[in-house]
This record gives sequence, structure tokens and C-alpha cells, in this order.
Amino acid sequence: MRLNPIVKKDVKVQSRSMKICWGVFAYELILALVFFFAMTIIQQESRYSMNNIYSAMVWLYPVLAVTQLVILGVVVPVRTASSISGEKERQTFDIMMTTSMTPFSIIAGKVTTAIVQSMLFVLASMPVMALSFIIGGMSWAYLFWFLGIALLVSLFAASIGILCSALCKKSISAVIMSYGFYLFFFIVTVLPLIVYEIIEAGASWNMSGTQSNYIRAWLCLFLMLNPIVYIVDFFAHVMMGESWAASILDLVSATQPRGLFHFISSGYVWMILSTVLYLAISALFLFLAARRINPVGRHVRRAAKKSGGKSK
Amino acid sequence: MLQIDHLYKDYGRFRAVNDLSLHIPKGDLFGFVGPNGAGKTTTIRMVCGLMLPSAGSIVINGVNVSANQKEIKKQIGYVPDFFGVYDNLKVREYMDFYGSMYRMNSKEIAGISDDLLELVNLSDKKEVFVDTLSRGMKQRLCVARALIHNPALLVLDEPNSGLDPRARVEMKELLLNLKGMGKTIVISSHILSELSEMCSSIGIMDHGNLVASGPIEDIMEGVLESNRLIITLDEGHETAVRIVNEHTKVKVDSVGEHEIKLSHNMTKKEIAGMIGMMIENDVLVTGFHKQEGNLETLFMQVTKSSETQEGGKEHAAESNR
Repeated sequence: MRLNPIVKKDVKVQSRSMKICWGVFAYELILALVFFFAMTIIQQESRYSMNNIYSAMVWLYPVLAVTQLVILGVVVPVRTASSISGEKERQTFDIMMTTSMTPFSIIAGKVTTAIVQSMLFVLASMPVMALSFIIGGMSWAYLFWFLGIALLVSLFAASIGILCSALCKKSISAVIMSYGFYLFFFIVTVLPLIVYEIIEAGASWNMSGTQSNYIRAWLCLFLMLNPIVYIVDFFAHVMMGESWAASILDLVSATQPRGLFHFISSGYVWMILSTVLYLAISALFLFLAARRINPVGRHVRRAAKKSGGKSK
Repeated sequence: MLQIDHLYKDYGRFRAVNDLSLHIPKGDLFGFVGPNGAGKTTTIRMVCGLMLPSAGSIVINGVNVSANQKEIKKQIGYVPDFFGVYDNLKVREYMDFYGSMYRMNSKEIAGISDDLLELVNLSDKKEVFVDTLSRGMKQRLCVARALIHNPALLVLDEPNSGLDPRARVEMKELLLNLKGMGKTIVISSHILSELSEMCSSIGIMDHGNLVASGPIEDIMEGVLESNRLIITLDEGHETAVRIVNEHTKVKVDSVGEHEIKLSHNMTKKEIAGMIGMMIENDVLVTGFHKQEGNLETLFMQVTKSSETQEGGKEHAAESNR
């Protein structure tokens, strides 16, 4: 298989730079601080309880994993948001566009570089993460599960960053826009439920409990696109063996044992659907970014045809 | 090789390129000349497929630029006016990177990039980081990069901007070498004297219009047919200008401290009569000669007449309002 030239070049250039070393150092430092903070709490807790300290060590896993996912979620958009706009600022973008690379392969190259870099950070953190597996007795399968989630978070964050990078001329505006997109996913997905709860609390009508739960369950489906809910749900599965998000739907599924909500709330269905949605959105963002950077794409040609008629 | 037909480019209501038609044969070194905002870069970007024309067509080697992007990218090597570099990338790796972007395998790239680096005199810089090269070297490397896939047409947008005299000479020699090898080259520049030394034909652009194009000698003959005369004098400027203005066949272009430049269509006898009248009126004429035609004067003349036309149009539009 032929390696994308952009990935090859970017990885080579980055690995020569001290930035990557400082990046890994900062990443490890944050994890180490979180680790010691968590250990202090675990130690103090164990003094006043009958619980075994080793069983409490299991909780290092979600703490360190969440810390890493948050760092990735913050860093990856910055990395990708400056990738296309950075090429424009360096004035290398035009040269790139005159080569045989397609706009999609350029976008794919930039995103893959960002994912490779973020996975390097994650792999560098493995010694710290391993403590909760060796001492805490977690299953190794959860480690690979975490790697999968980290990969998904990186892809999603990178696709947001690259779209903003394609939309903006300046890297700084692309970074700001990326965080704006994030806010959209964090807030807008939870907003319908909050608005409904507020309206229902102040409403004068008398809706039956079933009806109300039914509407609530529908609005809960938006939470599938909320990154916080996704991460919490993942750890609920790992630590407690049940889906936190699906438990919200249980109110409805109890009254409709064979309905849609019953199906979604069973097993890993919520997580799987949510994962598929994130992948689909990431693919859509990558497609839009590729379309945006194509100077003579079909959409541009159509627009040119329209104005061309008037030109002569 | 390059055929442009009735090309237009509009940015909203502003027309950057207006009805441009041009034919550049294979092996030609064609120079695009024009003041800032003339539409040179816009035309070049459309030729390279970086921008779509509002109307018209561009055909390179029988392939339409707008219709077949994939094919056209193999036919073109593009050198922009600014050389952007990647930090921490060596010259050899830079060539590798762009070679692989044209889907060439590493063996092919290694062979071709060695030859190209020799051609641009950078063989000894293979293991040097690109960002440490001088501007002239970077620009030559950029030409080598643009040639890595052996394109039929090399397009250079102001390649000499910001280069020192030595680097300019080196770049000129490189382009003449490439021309000798049979490459078709399109170059845009402000440095007219250099273009006149290396280009076989030129196109002068102004306000989006191609005001003149063809072999340099043909254009010079055509455009400089209205004679320009320079009269040098020490005293009696005002009297001299008054005498010149009395002639209907003469137009004063400029009046300097010791000279008057004018365009005319007088006969030799009429010129002698006018000079004689100046001397009779105590104007201390120290000499007079016909202005020699060069690319600079040609350029000034062509763009000035285009400006006058534009001014005339604006004036007419103003009057209509």
C-alpha cells in the first residue's frame, strides 16, 4: 500500500522538531500530576474505609483515560485547524493543489498525521495507564477499547479542525471556529432536553407520565451526539457494566418492551449507534473540507457557468 | 501548446481579465508583462487550474484545463512568486515529497531529482535543510521541483521578485537553458529588460486586457510607429513648449529641466522647421534625437495609451451622468 506523501513528510518534519518532544513531555506531566492527585485521594479514602487499596486503584483507569481524551479533544483541533490554513499562510497550498494529489487525499493526509501524532501521545502514556491494569486488575481488553475510543475522539476532533481550516484563511480563526463547533456539539445536543424540562415544569397542561417520558426519550436521542455523554457512557460500561445513557431511555422502554427505545437501551446498541454517528459526521466533515479546498470542483464549475453566461 | 480563447474572469462586478486570447507555440519562452493589478497572476492561476475562468477556454496540449483537471496537473509545473518552505526538510526530501505527490516511485524520483538538482546547480546542497538556502537557491530549487514530473509547460509567476542581481542572472540562465531543451515556458515579470533578453515573445497586459502580444520585434515595430522625439535645451523652455504646442501633429509627453519629450507624426522637414523656429526665438537647443525603442518605452507607451482610453471612457461616463 502506498503511504500518503503528506503523512510521510509531516511525520518526518514533526519528528525532527523539538515541539513534539515538548508536547509528549507536557502530556506525560499532566498525566503524572493527575495520577499523583488521584493516588493521594485513593490513599486517604482507604485510611477510613475497609476497602482494599488495590481495588480502588481500578479507578485510576477512568481518571487517566478521561484526562487523555480531554487533552486529545483540546489539542487535535488546534493541530488540524492550522494544517490547511498553515499551508495557505506558508503559500505552499497552491503548489500542492497543482500536483496530482486530489483534495480528498490532501485532507486525508493532514487528518492522518494529526491522528498519528495523537496516538503517539496515547502510546507514550501507556506506562502510567498500565498501573491500573497491573495493580488494579483491570482486563487488558479495556486498554484496547480505550485506544479505539481515543482513535475515534482524535478522528472526530481532527475532522472538525480540518473543516474549519479549509473554511478559514487564518489559522487563529480556524482554531476559534473549531472550538465553536465543539461548543455546538456540547450545548446544542443537550439543549432540546433542557428546554423541554423547563417548559414542562412551568406548563399548565396535564400530560400523562408515559407521554412525557416518550417525548423525553426522543429528545434524549440527541445526546448520542454529545461527546460528554459518549465518554461517560463508555466508562459506565467499563466500570459498572451498564449503559448510563441507555438507562435514561429505560423509563420508556419499560412501557414499550418491544419498541425502538427498548432496542436502543439494550446492551451496547447506544454506544454502537453513537460511534456510527460520530464516524458519519467525521466523514461528512472531511468530504466538505475536500470540497471546499478544491478550486475547480463541480460546485465551483457550476457557479462559474452561471456567472460566465453574464460575462460576455 | 497553450491556447487561450476569449478568457474572462470576474470578481463580482470587477473584471480582472477581459477577453484574453493567446496562442503560445511549443518551445516558446513567453513573457507576461504588466503593471500591478493588470491580471497577469489571475491569468496564470487560471492556466494552472487554481481558478476557474468566468468564461472562455484554456487548452494545454489539446487538454481543456477546466474539463480535465487530473490530466492537466501532469502537464503543468508551477512556480509561484513566493517560495514557501517547510522547516526541517532537506533538499533531497523536498524533491522526494513533490515527486511522490505526482505518484512517482522512489527510484524514479531519485534519478530525476539528481539530474534536476544538477541542472539548477544545487547538487552539493542535497543534504542541506531547505530553510537555510538563500532566496535565489530556493527559487532555483522551486524550478527543479516544478520540473520533477517532466511537465510540458512550465509556468513562473514573478520568479525574480526579491532576488539579488546575481540570483536574477542565474535564474535567467536557467530559464534560457530550459528553453534550449525545448521546454515551453510562461513567465510573468515586472523586470522588462530581463524579459526582453530571454523571451521570444511577450504579452502586455493592462487593466485585464491583453494590449499587445507576439514576438518582441513585431510589437516594437507596431507600437512604436508613432515617433518620439527628445529635444534637449538649456534656456527658453516656455518658448519651446509654446512652439511645440502650436503644431497640430505634435503632442508633448513630458517636460523636464533640460529636455522635452514629444510624440509626433511630422516629416523630417517639419521637424527641422520646428527646431529652426525655436532657435530663431532664442531657445538654446543643445540637441535633439529620436527616442530609441526598448521594452520599457514600449511598455510605458502601451499602458499609458490604455490608461488614456480608460480615462476617456470614465470621462465619457461621467459626462453621461
